[in-house]
Amino acid sequence: MRILAAYDWTFIWDYRHEFWDGFKHTMKAGLLGIVLAYVIGLVLGAVRAYRIPLLSQLAAVYVELIRNTPILVQIFFLYYATPELGIHLEPFTVAWLSITIWGGAFMTENFRAGFEAVPARLREAGFALGFGPLKNFLNVTLPIGGRIALPSTINTAISVLKNTSLLLIIGYPELTYVANNIQALTFLVFEAFTVLAVYYLAIVWALSALIRFLERRLALPEAL
Amino acid sequence: MPELPDWFRPVAEYMLREGLPETIRLSVIAVTASLVVGILFGTLITIRFRPLQWLIRFYIELWRGLPILVTVLFIYWLPPYDVGPYHIQLNAYMSAAVALSLWGSAQVAEATRGAVQSITKEQHEAASALGFSWIGRHRFVILPQALRRLLPPMVGLLVNIIQNTTIAFVIGVNEFLQAGNRQFENLTTQTGDGHPISIFGFVMLVFFVICFPLTRLAAYLEKRLV
Repeated sequence: MRILAAYDWTFIWDYRHEFWDGFKHTMKAGLLGIVLAYVIGLVLGAVRAYRIPLLSQLAAVYVELIRNTPILVQIFFLYYATPELGIHLEPFTVAWLSITIWGGAFMTENFRAGFEAVPARLREAGFALGFGPLKNFLNVTLPIGGRIALPSTINTAISVLKNTSLLLIIGYPELTYVANNIQALTFLVFEAFTVLAVYYLAIVWALSALIRFLERRLALPEAL
Repeated sequence: MPELPDWFRPVAEYMLREGLPETIRLSVIAVTASLVVGILFGTLITIRFRPLQWLIRFYIELWRGLPILVTVLFIYWLPPYDVGPYHIQLNAYMSAAVALSLWGSAQVAEATRGAVQSITKEQHEAASALGFSWIGRHRFVILPQALRRLLPPMVGLLVNIIQNTTIAFVIGVNEFLQAGNRQFENLTTQTGDGHPISIFGFVMLVFFVICFPLTRLAAYLEKRLV
């Protein structure tokens, strides 16, 4: 391992607390964004799947607008355009809000596809058992459709977490921001980015493994 | 039609003349490199030779796992280095192109692997029976079928790469978002009003106009080809 020894790893060890703080900021915005995106996705996914008039069209506009514009531009818009409307948002607010709005649009699509994949005869069976529309959704469509949608929603969650790195441009002190600063201070580009990569890959690969596990565990029986 | 304010015309002209071509050029370079490298790696990984499979698997998981911004910054800040006789020093534009291609090629490789493996064994056997070598078999029988299945996700990739070129903003490439931001800053210093809603709204609108038809096309192809 001559190549690795040529780099200055002791120096980067001195910055472990900074990295850890960055990690905490990444997780704070990331987890809040993921939870809220799931909430938006569940509600609007149901609205889209059940084609509730007006609301469904509004949700479609929201989804298409977010999916067809870069998230970086959305962050810019939130950060620089809101003061013109008299709203002053903290970097942290822009941080979780922007990734929530982005993730919510993708989650809506995931859940819509999941709910629509539930065979009609299962819903009919629910009605035959005397469930009302809401009970039918909660007892039939949600558990089965949610199970179908789960792997793709975790993929979206991973993307939301990776997108927190873009919050560097508004000065939110997450991992990438921290690593980029350390790299500028110490010129230890390779070391700083290796640590950064280890952080991200640990999170992303763990979640990817979770997807594979859930796909096996929750696979619906063929006969359905 | 409402009258456009006086300040808007030169701003929009600058953005469309200076910024947009950079965005498009960056997208074209990244998509081309992603397709070439990705289809090659995605085909090679189907060969049952473990060390090669591990190597390509690592390449795919590494560049797909990292946020693109991290790859962009890493490649941009890396000090100049020598590879054999070549002295490599990438400017901001090339760094962004390389980083986007690493990410894109990993995506294409994974999609290609899935598509190639979805072609049935009989197709391989029939091609072998006709006397095709490994290369001929893939060139004339397997890949033409696999690439057809790849078309919808590749249009999706194009949309993703077009959107992700904005990440080059961070290292100072004058792509469309950067062009808009420069005009926003100029207006702010000159007149005190940067018109952020109009300018960044315009950036969003142009991206939407480019990406929306492509997203629809991907959805249409998905229905037609599957």
